[in-house]
Amino acid sequence: MRVIPRRRPAVPAEDQFDATVPALPALEGRGAPDLVISARDIGVRYSLRLTRKNTVRQTFTNLFRRTGGPRDFWALRDVSFRLVSGESLAVIGPNGAGKSTLLQVLAGIIVPSAGALTVNGRISSLLTLGAGFDQDLTGRENILLAGAFMGMTHAETKERLEPIVEFADIGEFIDAPIRTYSTGMRARLGFAIATSVDPDVLLLDEVLATGDQVFREKSKARVLELVRQAKAIVLVTHDMTWVTEYCNRAILLEHGHVVAEGDPADVVAMHQEHSARERAQKAAQIARYGGVVKRP
Amino acid sequence: MSASTTYDSASQPGPVGLIVEGFREAWGRRRLIGYLIRADLKKKGSDTVLGNLWWIIDPLLQMSVYVVLVTVIFARSTPAYPLFIFAAILPWKWFTSVINDSVVSVTSQEQLIKQVLFPKIILPVAAVLAGIANFAFGLIPLAGLLVIFYPDRISPTLLLIPVVAATQLVFTLALAIFLAAVNVFFRDVGNVARHVLRLWFYLSPALYSADQLSNLGQKEPVVGALLQANPFTPIFESYRNVIYSGTMPLFGHLLQVVAVSLVLLLVSVLFFKRVEPAFAKVL
Repeated sequence: MRVIPRRRPAVPAEDQFDATVPALPALEGRGAPDLVISARDIGVRYSLRLTRKNTVRQTFTNLFRRTGGPRDFWALRDVSFRLVSGESLAVIGPNGAGKSTLLQVLAGIIVPSAGALTVNGRISSLLTLGAGFDQDLTGRENILLAGAFMGMTHAETKERLEPIVEFADIGEFIDAPIRTYSTGMRARLGFAIATSVDPDVLLLDEVLATGDQVFREKSKARVLELVRQAKAIVLVTHDMTWVTEYCNRAILLEHGHVVAEGDPADVVAMHQEHSARERAQKAAQIARYGGVVKRP
Repeated sequence: MSASTTYDSASQPGPVGLIVEGFREAWGRRRLIGYLIRADLKKKGSDTVLGNLWWIIDPLLQMSVYVVLVTVIFARSTPAYPLFIFAAILPWKWFTSVINDSVVSVTSQEQLIKQVLFPKIILPVAAVLAGIANFAFGLIPLAGLLVIFYPDRISPTLLLIPVVAATQLVFTLALAIFLAAVNVFFRDVGNVARHVLRLWFYLSPALYSADQLSNLGQKEPVVGALLQANPFTPIFESYRNVIYSGTMPLFGHLLQVVAVSLVLLLVSVLFFKRVEPAFAKVL
């Protein structure tokens, strides 16, 4: 594991990366793995002046208010890494560290405000499973719609329709409107769609915790199958067991910075150490202020 | 492995590049637009008892309200007034429903925009195109009105309705794309639009003919100027010509509206493409 100080040199040297790519059994005999993602000094800046659900009035107050906190906020700063096919990269870190933002950048949904990102191949992302479904359409119609949104051709979607339906395994509900689905069913359909695209890179945000035990096993098997097919995976999760068992690399994000990168076991250990320290600090604060937690 | 994509903070194409990209995206994703239109029609028909029948009943009810208001309360008399007014209500209902739908077309897909990468411009385009069905259904009560009550007013100029409608469509599309983008940043657009649309209707020759309104324009120069600049002045007059009077549409004026609308469309697409990268962050 490399512990990464802030403001480190812009582009990491090639040899450092080679050390971090363990050879998966499936990769043997394939020659050098393909570079799938190359992120160089990615930064994402949010303007706090023009943010969520503003009304005209708020914007004007913000414009004329000179004081009152920072104007913008860096959700990610100086994030650099590479991903080759066959890798399964875990992104871990506390809430609000920028994990989901990083996935959005990788998916091309957010254009980085600084740095550059090169992606080779097709990326599939269903970051929050099922949230993008159209409530009034049936499961089947939503599959067609999702396929079209993800840029599949009609033939491709048609071809994948039955396997998706089969994998989601929601029975008769496939022809009922999504609004009648349970959360679990929605997640299963979302997972089935996301993993059906035959992507070169699959981005998954907290999806392994969904569904019942049986489906969880099934989705685990599916993700592992994708990894074996030499597809790359970037996964955001709080499930540390999954990280140490199935990911071959991990990065720890804190406050938008990559704090550590390397072997999952080491990175997870560091993350747990940091969160334990955080919890201890909070506990001390609570003890001192008698239950009133003051944010640092 | 397929093509390589680079997302770079510095690389954004120039204005012409953005406009071309916008049109190319809309055309390239026409199948998706088709799906969205079908989904929209299905939803609109499914949540009420009478379903899509409302598209036929609604303009008739609205027509009755105005007929009562103008002929009974204001005691004005125009021959075949129900038809006279229906020729304006039909396109206006189309216009307002499309504007209302497209204003929220981007913001209502918030979840999807944050999850999947796709060209957002297809959303207002789909909303506008789905509205055509609204207009098409409205032609059914128009036909009924003509056949049952005003058979003597049926004329071959009715075949020119699509020409006028096409003009209106180009103008609507330009406005819809612009408003959909603005609404991402200012959620007030819908509220403002509702009232502006109402005022717009009364400042258009809808309930009255353009001649009647031009008298008003002489007394109130501001109103006169607005009437002059209002694209719905020639549009309503043209609908009325082909439906009510059996005369030719105002081709010259319509051509002007088309020309101005096309310029507006380019500006709207440029604006939309410029602010599009911020959508996922602001939503």
